[in-house]
Amino acid sequence: MITFQNVSKYYESETILRNISFSAQKGEMLFITGPTGAGKSTLLKLLYLSEYPDEGDIVIGDFHLASLKPSWIPLLRRNIGVVFQDFKLINNLSVFDNVALALRVKGRSERDIKDAVFDALKKVHLRQKANSYPRKLSGGEMQRAAIARAIVSEPLFILADEPTGNLDSNTTVDIMRLFLDINIQGTTILIATHNRELFRHSGKRVLRLDRGVMTEEGGG
Amino acid sequence: MALPYSFKSAFQSLCREKWINALSIFTVASSLLIITLISLFLYNIDIAAKGLPERFSMVAYLKDNLTKEQTQEIISSLDRKNEIVHLKYISKDEAMQELKQALTESIALLEGLEENPLTPSIEIRLQEEIVKSAYVKRLAEEIKKIPGIDNVYYGEEIAETVYLLKRSVQNMSMIIFVSVTSGIVFVIYSSVNILFYRRRSEIEIIALLGATGGFIRTPFIIEGGFIGFAGGILGALGALAFYFGITYNISAIMPMLGALIFPIEILFLLPVAGSILGITGSIIAVGRLRL
Repeated sequence: MITFQNVSKYYESETILRNISFSAQKGEMLFITGPTGAGKSTLLKLLYLSEYPDEGDIVIGDFHLASLKPSWIPLLRRNIGVVFQDFKLINNLSVFDNVALALRVKGRSERDIKDAVFDALKKVHLRQKANSYPRKLSGGEMQRAAIARAIVSEPLFILADEPTGNLDSNTTVDIMRLFLDINIQGTTILIATHNRELFRHSGKRVLRLDRGVMTEEGGG
Repeated sequence: MALPYSFKSAFQSLCREKWINALSIFTVASSLLIITLISLFLYNIDIAAKGLPERFSMVAYLKDNLTKEQTQEIISSLDRKNEIVHLKYISKDEAMQELKQALTESIALLEGLEENPLTPSIEIRLQEEIVKSAYVKRLAEEIKKIPGIDNVYYGEEIAETVYLLKRSVQNMSMIIFVSVTSGIVFVIYSSVNILFYRRRSEIEIIALLGATGGFIRTPFIIEGGFIGFAGGILGALGALAFYFGITYNISAIMPMLGALIFPIEILFLLPVAGSILGITGSIIAVGRLRL
């Protein structure tokens, strides 16, 4: 489903990612770990096309990112769910509208949107907060709203960049359970985190990045 | 399906950024009001200038002692000219009558005259389109060559003034129209740019969700169009208030202003023009932005 083929990324003279090659299969849950500044976020940015590789190619399904036309970028992004450490919710939109936005960009009808959004909010246990605004939510609730937005369009895979970085330990456990539930239902998930507790007992594959070089750690 | 979202998003932004938008609407309204008032002024000048050729006439003075047949021959040869729309023969006696009417208070000046010193003449009215100095001058030269005609008088300055006034009105209208409409487009361009940068993080999120450029840009184009439309309505109301202010108040002091003609179409044209300029300004703004 996702294949990195000898991907390198440089910022000026600094090497951020060096000759990265790995694959993630459909339905897999994969952790990318490493210290701050190791290149985890950059690797995810390459997947959601916020950055472009300087060398190598990334293959997502049938898309080769090295030769992707710029006009196809929105199309590809619609099939990727992204969850950020800082949630990236739009403050002046309700939880419902934040989640609905992922479907509105696809041009879905309002009736379909309503059903799908309430379904997604139910999955993340946030249905009762549909009309609330992000400022009125706790950190855990905001992240659950962001996860609902990521899953509502039934993407090919979900990318999570330090999804529990701003959360307390109890909420972290809740959010990780949520990711495991989503993964069990068949969605591929890549989680970038420096917090080893998240995958220690998960039994999932772990890739370690250090100074731009990737090594495989194996299951926790 | 994205259009309801675009309208909702545009109107949310209009409410959220009310000060920037109110200021833009006010600026557009003021600019459109300036255009309207100047156009109103120019329109009235144009109407007045159009009336001048109607009043413009040329007078051909005939030689004394012409026979009736010779006079008729002159009238016929003038009548054959296409540029002339109306001829009026004024005999010596009629000329004296007109002079007496004109000199009501100084009639004593004429009392000592033993014979009528005035000559018969023909008053000539020309087609409005040809009342341009060069044309009138050439025609006067032609008429002068007709046997029996002594001299031709025409208001050279009037003809010149009419022509210059018309050209000045056209040029001024064009300069004002271009500069103020460019100003309006620039105001909306700048406002949309500001609004765009204030929503930059929101736009980044929408782009990450897979929004196309059109999806992101449409609310800003709607917003720009609305700013122009609202500015147009305000401008039209301002122009109406100005007109009634003049009609009911200032014309009492300056009666000539009471004769101002106000084309009512302006009230509908301004919001349409405002919307078009607003949409143009915002299309330029969002077209130049990198998403």
